[in-house]
Amino acid sequence: MFFFKELEKTIQLHPSYFGPLIRSHIHRELLTKEEGSSTGKFTIVCILDNFEISDGQVMAGSGSAEYTVHYKAIVWRPYKGEVVDGVVTSVMRSGFFVDCGSLQAFVGRNMIPGEIKFDANATPPQWTDNGDQIIEKNTNIRIKLMGLRSEVDKMYAIGTMKEDYLGPLQQ
Amino acid sequence: MKIRSPPGLHYPITVVDLAQKRDDEVQRSSPLFNYYYETIVTEGDKYGDVKDVKKRFPARFDSSADGVITKWFIKKGTVIQHPGVDIIEIEEPCTHEIQFGSLCANCGKDMTEVDYLTEERNVDRATINMTHDNVALLVSQKEAVRAEEDAKRRLLGAKKLSLIVDLDQTVIHTTCERTIAEWQADPHNPNFEAVKDVRSFQLADDNVAHVAANWYYVKMRPGLKEFFDEVSSMYEMHIYTMATRAYAQEVAKIIDPDRKYFGDRILSRDENYTDKLKSLHRLFPTNTDMVVIIDDRADIWHYSDNLIRVPVFNFFPGAGDINASFLPKQQELVTSTSKSVLPEPVFTKAGLGDEGETARPLSVATKPTEPAPLDISNGALTELQQDLLQMGGGDNPEILEQQVKEQERVIITQQTERPLLQKQLLLDQEDDAAEDEEENSEAAENGETQTTEHHRHRHSLLHDDDRGLEVIEENLRRVHRAFYDEYQKKRVGPQGGRIAELRGEKSPKKRVLEDFVPDVKILMPRIKQQVLGGCTVVFSGIIPLGMDVQASDFALWVKSFGADVSLNVNRQTTHVIANPDRKTTKVKKAARYSHIKIVNAEWMFQCCTRWVHVDESPYLIEIDPAERGGSPFEDLEDDDIGATGDEDGDEPQLSPLDMSNMSDEKWQSLGDEIDDFLNESDDTEDNSNSDSESVRSDSSAQTESKRPKRKRKRGTASIDGSETEDSDASANSTSKLQRRKKRTLERVTSLTNVVSADKSSGLPSPETTGPEEEQGDDDGKYADPAGDAADAAGDESDYDDGLEAEMLAEFERSASEEEA
Repeated sequence: MFFFKELEKTIQLHPSYFGPLIRSHIHRELLTKEEGSSTGKFTIVCILDNFEISDGQVMAGSGSAEYTVHYKAIVWRPYKGEVVDGVVTSVMRSGFFVDCGSLQAFVGRNMIPGEIKFDANATPPQWTDNGDQIIEKNTNIRIKLMGLRSEVDKMYAIGTMKEDYLGPLQQ
Repeated sequence: MKIRSPPGLHYPITVVDLAQKRDDEVQRSSPLFNYYYETIVTEGDKYGDVKDVKKRFPARFDSSADGVITKWFIKKGTVIQHPGVDIIEIEEPCTHEIQFGSLCANCGKDMTEVDYLTEERNVDRATINMTHDNVALLVSQKEAVRAEEDAKRRLLGAKKLSLIVDLDQTVIHTTCERTIAEWQADPHNPNFEAVKDVRSFQLADDNVAHVAANWYYVKMRPGLKEFFDEVSSMYEMHIYTMATRAYAQEVAKIIDPDRKYFGDRILSRDENYTDKLKSLHRLFPTNTDMVVIIDDRADIWHYSDNLIRVPVFNFFPGAGDINASFLPKQQELVTSTSKSVLPEPVFTKAGLGDEGETARPLSVATKPTEPAPLDISNGALTELQQDLLQMGGGDNPEILEQQVKEQERVIITQQTERPLLQKQLLLDQEDDAAEDEEENSEAAENGETQTTEHHRHRHSLLHDDDRGLEVIEENLRRVHRAFYDEYQKKRVGPQGGRIAELRGEKSPKKRVLEDFVPDVKILMPRIKQQVLGGCTVVFSGIIPLGMDVQASDFALWVKSFGADVSLNVNRQTTHVIANPDRKTTKVKKAARYSHIKIVNAEWMFQCCTRWVHVDESPYLIEIDPAERGGSPFEDLEDDDIGATGDEDGDEPQLSPLDMSNMSDEKWQSLGDEIDDFLNESDDTEDNSNSDSESVRSDSSAQTESKRPKRKRKRGTASIDGSETEDSDASANSTSKLQRRKKRTLERVTSLTNVVSADKSSGLPSPETTGPEEEQGDDDGKYADPAGDAADAAGDESDYDDGLEAEMLAEFERSASEEEA
């Protein structure tokens, strides 16, 4: 689910950037470092333009300046039970992996409907019901998140396809 | 799941009542039964008296698992005395066999949770990783076995085996040098032909080199596509490399654009957990019966029985393996030259003249003691690669850091110093110098490099003539055939069972798959053992001093082919693998034993890569009879040599090329004679031993030498002939050391000649025995006094009185001669 969230970030700037363009340097730093990053709870999708920069403070010893930036961002936080779309990245006998943006989810064998079987001899290997449902690498797919666990900068999810309207999306 | 009485309760405990019945569904942490325990507590009363009282406390036992109760092991009134007693069996709805990022893939529960009931963490139920491209997906032992059974059935059905393919220097060779791109763009460059199919790529997240836009140039081993086409029909292939995932994937795109050979079966350093080793169990955790590996290094596989070690593919000289800085230091520097995979001696030598020359000036400065010129890749070993090899393994982050830096440095050096370009320039200069010798250079080219232009001779640095894949393919075919032959044989077995069935016996149970699936780990060594079986090999001048010979890479390698490795030359020795540049004491000693073949390391490479006992003759090291003219036994020798060879007069001038000029029949006859001789070696062995013994031992021992003299007639002539024919090129060199070496060697060769001379004249001539014996004596003593003593003692047994008298007489005469 997407949220609108106020965040704060401390940015250190090398003295060579000190000058009239300091604001744009900080902005760029913020965008490159923060956008797309995952905190383990949510992913920062997009940083909005109006942000506040505190007064810089030169750090003893290094000469770098430290700025605290307050900004607003659109973040995405997955929840258990949420239905998400993703792209299949890897297919194997025990299931397949789906990339849902920053979240990597695994759909295990038991989470795949019984009529869809694994075909190891196909190239590339695929899960298929020998009809129109084919799950191979790069298939777009809709899954429901069954479990979530977050580590420091990573999230893991378990997905399922065993419900209505879940499965490969028709291109 | 079976729940047992946990540690940490007040045993003994007595069950009061069971809270749940059989087939009841229980939730985790719901009560299973009530119990009481007794313990002694200290109580105080209002008067301040303290006394110990035995008291009974009620307590509750909670379930540590969800599920349905299938069996109670206790009943009301049971006393549980100690931890570990079975209490209850609960069938769980999910056993968490597959876990992804510590989440159960089947129920989505978090496996890392730990509470007061946790005895064994759920994450420990699945600890095996058998996916190529992910480290977060783990499965349980049971699941792993199941998956492998599936895979096995599938492979057997398709008549395939699994093949693990290494990338760097096995199927491809990569360099970072920009020069390649320039050569590719220039059709007039001598290397154009060789590099025109080199593919290049950049890595997006290249944090290895901080130099912008680092290009990798990948040369596929010649014939790679055909190789994959052929092999993929027999094997299901996996990539297993020590490079990063991004690199592996880029390379896979190049070698397998349609993803039909490898699919997603790519395992890289990122998923390997360790930088030091490759492990079969990473991919095949429970069963490696049907797995074959091809890799150019055996040490990182711990010399696994599944490994087919392949000749190194070294296309860009000096580039080495850019991903090897994380690996443990390679033990040896000598690697097989790709060129000499072809057995023709002419060709090998020609290649040497060409390449060895050019590579030398570069490496001499950094590596004065390079072991062998026979080896191109070795000769071309630069300081850079040397450094690369120096880096050992270690687990601490500092070393890792250092290794990363080192790899960076290697890449940067390749980018900035461009060793290939330098080498080519050097080569061009030499070509210019040698232009007038057009004829010779033409011969040296030997039609192998297509770049000879007639208006201007420019040699190419790179040679696109590697044939390693053909050899590998042949080996893979053999293994595959052997495996499925045996499989068929075993599978047909049950038909005997059918007869039994017809006889009215109970039909045999369907046999388990394991029963008739052969094991590559047994099969392959069996094939390999035959190659050098019965050979006893001594290394000389090959393995660096101070290294445990038996544990060295080469020794392990030849041992895996059935050969024995011994430290010293002795009766059992059949081959001495020596450095042709250095005449070590072992070589000298072996030279006296005519049945011992003294070969260069190339012979070993050939045997071990082609899996055949190749004919030694092209690889024999010439035992140098240089300066023979000064020897007093010239005449006698000549007589002797006349039987087989005829190059008595101009022997010292012989170049190594002359050996190859010998006609095929000559080789043939030589080989036959050697064979004959070897067949009789059982009895001749002693003789030749005592033979040489006699001349270097004191006068008493000397007398024994008559018996051998008689017998030797059989084979020595030919051996001597071959040895003299193979006279060494080093005769031309002039260094003092060299001359001294020659002199020592001369002793050796003339030694054998002396004996044959005796034979030819029927009587030992006085001139010969005298000086010979003394020289030999010195020789033998510093070579191996202990061995001599033992030999002498052994020979004492066949003491011959008449002989002794005769020999003594001879000795006295010769001694007086010498004094005079």
